[in-house]
Formats: sequence, structure tokens, C-alpha cells
Amino acid sequence: MKRKALALATAVLCSQANVVNALEVGVILDAYHKSENTALGGRAEGFGSSHSELSLSQGIADLTTAHVALVGEWNEQDSDLQLEEAYLQSSALPGGMNVTAGRFLADIGYLNATHSHSDNFSERPLLYRAFLGGHYFDDGVGVSWLAPTDRYWRLSAGAFTGDKLGEEKSESGIGTWTLSTEFGDDLGNNASWQMGASYLRNNTQSSDHHEDEDDHEEHDHAGHSHGAEYQGKNLYLTDLVWKWAPQGNNRQQQVKLAAEYAYVDDVYGAEVDHYDGWYLSGVYQFDENWSAGIRQGRVNLAEEHEHAGEHEWEETRLTETSVMLSWAPTHTQRLRLEYKHQDADHMEGADNAITVHYQIGFGAHAAHGF
Amino acid sequence: MLRMVSKLLAFSLLALVNTAQAITIFTCEPEWAALSMELAPGAKVFSATHVYQDPHYIEARPSLISKIAKADLVICSGAGLESGWLPALQKRAANRKVVNGADGMLYLSQFIKTIEKHKTKFFSTEHVHPAGNPHFHLDPDRVSKLAPVISQRLQIIDSGSRLIYQQALAKWQKNWQQSLQQWQQQAAQLKGQPVVVQHTSFSYLINWIGMDAIADLEPEPGVPPTMAHAQSLIADARQEQPVAILTNWYQNDRAARWMSDKTGVKHLNLPATVDLKGDINNLQRLFDHLLAQLQEAQ
Repeated sequence: MKRKALALATAVLCSQANVVNALEVGVILDAYHKSENTALGGRAEGFGSSHSELSLSQGIADLTTAHVALVGEWNEQDSDLQLEEAYLQSSALPGGMNVTAGRFLADIGYLNATHSHSDNFSERPLLYRAFLGGHYFDDGVGVSWLAPTDRYWRLSAGAFTGDKLGEEKSESGIGTWTLSTEFGDDLGNNASWQMGASYLRNNTQSSDHHEDEDDHEEHDHAGHSHGAEYQGKNLYLTDLVWKWAPQGNNRQQQVKLAAEYAYVDDVYGAEVDHYDGWYLSGVYQFDENWSAGIRQGRVNLAEEHEHAGEHEWEETRLTETSVMLSWAPTHTQRLRLEYKHQDADHMEGADNAITVHYQIGFGAHAAHGF
Repeated sequence: MLRMVSKLLAFSLLALVNTAQAITIFTCEPEWAALSMELAPGAKVFSATHVYQDPHYIEARPSLISKIAKADLVICSGAGLESGWLPALQKRAANRKVVNGADGMLYLSQFIKTIEKHKTKFFSTEHVHPAGNPHFHLDPDRVSKLAPVISQRLQIIDSGSRLIYQQALAKWQKNWQQSLQQWQQQAAQLKGQPVVVQHTSFSYLINWIGMDAIADLEPEPGVPPTMAHAQSLIADARQEQPVAILTNWYQNDRAARWMSDKTGVKHLNLPATVDLKGDINNLQRLFDHLLAQLQEAQ
């Protein structure tokens, strides 16, 4: 499938004149201090850097882009460098189609395919941390299609090895596949919206996994973990985003509301029917340089406990409230102060934390989507 | 399979386009929409931005994606002005006619010389355009050079209507020449006069007239005015008594109003481009308005 897509892309390329494009280099440096560790990953306590990035982008003959992103994370316990993106993407195949091949961010949910340096909070919402390991990228091939309708309507699909979703290598060739769709439009002069629905099929494990082995590992509450900790055969996601700016001029003022809901069934490695989670976030940029925001989220999960020699599964719940104030002295810099409050039911590691987060970008950066 | 589906889709799209009579033009800025309406009579023209929006900061909204997906021709200023959003629209829209390098993608900055080019260093936090100031629609001479560029591009992508485009251009050029003479007379009276600006939005107009921008309320290009910086300009403004402090409709004019209060210099809030929904809906009217306002402030 991958080879076919590449062949198609090459065929299209050869029909066009060669145009030389400049290599675009971008660097994002991220530095933070977090007062405490909190539950379900995210940033570790102390000083560190969570998502510093070196990205290279090269247009090839104006019809394909090659993109590579190397991401580094380090904190007081751990350091890690990994290749998060390395893909070829067509710019425009006939009929509103595009193909992506290589390692890339899966096109699911609202936040997954966006780069975390454009996030409004210092950590991804709970549901992303629980079900997608923060953000899900993998090796595979993706196709997207923009319908020729008046209202924006886009469909996309992807097939991946599945190796990057969990901590283990996938058992089957196509470990995961995805489907997603999104719609959107303007509401008068000041507002616009987008909604989406996505599905992730996870074939990397089998549902009866937990019965033959007792491999439910201790979660690494401190520090980050790359894999999704809570997985199931099916993950459903829905998202809704609404943005408002007076006259659509978001330089001075903007309100951004986002909500997502995730549902996981045929759960792997746990004796519960399903997991689910949601978040709601609101960010108000009240001036050219300042914005404030609040995010409320919850995940409903399950943990195994030993009770008088018996293993029992218990439903657990984690609720998280984040409040942030952010100052952007220039277009490329941002300083953010964030307070996070966690409430847990039968779950360890929940705490409250204050994070100070600074981010600066140099060089070229890809334009941001909606 | 994939190839078959995409071919099928391409054919059905082609059928859709062929039945449409006029071409569809998507412009990044409203000035090029206004110009296109005059140079391509009958074309469907859509502007991604309007006079109340800062074209540097635009959301790559779903509605813009579906609009650019249907365009036969996209006309933008270029020079980095739209780099924060246009590539996202092009990528999502997957419209082969308007990818970079295609005949349907026209960056006007490639056909004129820009001013205020900055050498940018990689590790710099400044927000400047290395390709120069992209607000060149405010120079009547550069606009004269760009109208034939747009017309020629229209003739390439829609060769069947070549004659219509040639006639429209001739008509436009005749009107523009007449207006130019009037503007030159007005400019002669403003020549050498000082003004205070906020951002480089009006640089081309100021240069064309021969006025002198003695101060910029932005401490650095693209960085919003600060009180400390405005304070530091007060003495100069009092001494040189500029004609006006210029801001445009999409800017926050707090610092300009404050400075006007402190110095007695008139604050002029002017449209930086055409207002497609208002009276100043083409470039002729825009220059008429801008020059009249500057003269009045004198």
C-alpha cells in the first residue's frame, strides 16, 4: 500500500516541471519548571524541556513536501531524543486528494495532528495522555480527500504499523488504521467552527491478553511515556471547535472553545467494559500579547488492585482542571504560568502543580491549521 | 484502485468546472480582489481577508479551505505576508491549479521591487519579512505595473476570454492614468511633510508622496506599541509637529490616541486597503480617500 502510494506520488511529480525550493529549517526550544509530578504523564517535576524540536522541510517540485522533525525531551530523571516525523506528502493530487507516507501524526481528533508547540496549555488534555500517549504518530500511509462541496468537508484514512501506539511492537502488519471526517464553516463575520469524528482501530494486541499473562505494568507516573497506557480495540473520538474574533481580526482579540470526547471499548488488559474521557477548554486572548484560559477534563479508567490475594479490577477516575495565563512578548516567544489541579478516585499520583513554561521559535515554521 | 478513484474524482471535478461559465478568483487581500473585479469582468472573486483584518494573522479556517479548493486563480501579495496561513489552506485544499509554481498561483511580490528588506539572522526574535515590505498596493506606480501582470495571468489560464481581459486592462489603465495626474498634484503639496506611523502599513504611500516617516509607534516591526516606546517619541513629535499620526482600521490605536492627546498632533485612522462592502471599494477610491485625508490633516 505504501509503495503504491509512493509510486502514485512519483508519477504525478514527473509530469510537472522541476522547481527548486529552499530547505526550511525551524527550531522550537521549550523550557519549564513544574512544582510536582501529576498523574498520567505530561511533564515531570523540576526543570526540564518537554518538546524541543528541530524541523526540516523541503518542497520537491512544488508537488511534494518532505518533512522531518526531531524532538527532544529532558528532565531531571530522563532524557530522550526521537524522530517524530519523517514523511513525504503530496501537495495536490487530482480530485482534492493527498497522500502522506512515512512517519507522521495520525489525522484523528482535533489536537492529534497539530504540533504541541501551538497548544494553549502546557500539557495535552487527559484523554490524549491516557489513550494516545500524548499524541499518536506512527509509520504508515495516509490519504485525505476534500469533498467538492460548498461547505468544508474532509475525509481521511490512515494505516500504520502500530508500533508506536503501545510500548510493544505490534503483532500484525497493519497494527492500526484510522478514519476521520471533519466539517466546518463560518458563523457570520466573527465566528467559525469545525467539528470532527474519528475512529482508530487498534489491532496491536488481543482482547484476552490479560488472561494468559500478568503483564499489566506499573505506570510510570513520573516522566513521560511514549505509548498510550489505556488501550482498546476501538477508539472513537469526536471534537468541536468554535473560534470568535471581532470582525475575524484575531490579532487583537480571540475566543477559542474546544471540546473533545473519547470512548474506548474492547479494552485491552483490563476487565472493564470501556474507558472514556472528555475535555472542555476555553482560551481568551484579550490583547495582542496576553491570553488566559481554563480547561476541565476527565478520564474514566480502571486499575487492578490486589485484595486478599485476589486480583480485582476497579473503576478509577481522574479529573483535571488547568488554569493558565500566557504572555507573548513577540510573535516567536511565549511565557506561560499554569496551575493544575487533579482529583482522583482510586488512582495514585494525582496532585496539584504549578508550571512555568517558556517557548521560543527560530527559523521557518509551518503555517498552523484551524 | 486508488488511482482509479482519484481519476474518477478528477473527471467529475473537471465536469463541474467546465459547466461553470466564469473563472473563480481567490485573493489573499481585498485590494487584489477589487483589482481583479475590474480586470476580469464576470469572474467570481472572493477575498480571504477584509479591511478590518490584519493579513499577517489569519486563521486557516474551514470556509477558506473550501473557497481556495474551488479557485482557478489565487492572487496574493506574497513576500511572506501570508506565510502563517496560506500554506495551510493550500495543503488542505489540494487544488492542483493553485499550488506554488502553478499558473493559477500568483504572488505579486515577484513582479516588483519591495522596500525595507531586512537581513534576518536565524537566531533572531524579530518579526520582519526578509522579502521586504509586502504592503506595496499602496504605491500607485507599482499597482500600474501589477495590473498587466494580473491581466496576463488571466489570459493564460482562461485564453478563451483573452480579448475581454485585454479590453478591461486598457480601460483600467486609461482611468488609472487620469487619476494618477490628480494624485500627483495632491502629493506635491504633501511632499517633505513629517508623519508618525504605526507599523510599515503605509510606507509605500509615504515614499510615493515623498513624506517623511519620522517615528514608528511599534518598538520593533510587528511588535505592538508599548507605552514606554510611545513616551520616548513624544519629544520628537512635539518638536517636528508631524501632519498626523497614522494608524489603520485593523490596528489597536490606543497608543496613537494617547500620543495625539499629549502632542496635539492629529490622529488619522485610515483604511490600509479597500473596503469591499463600503464606499472605498476599489484602489482608485482608496487613493482618493487617503490623499484627501492627508491633505485635510495638513
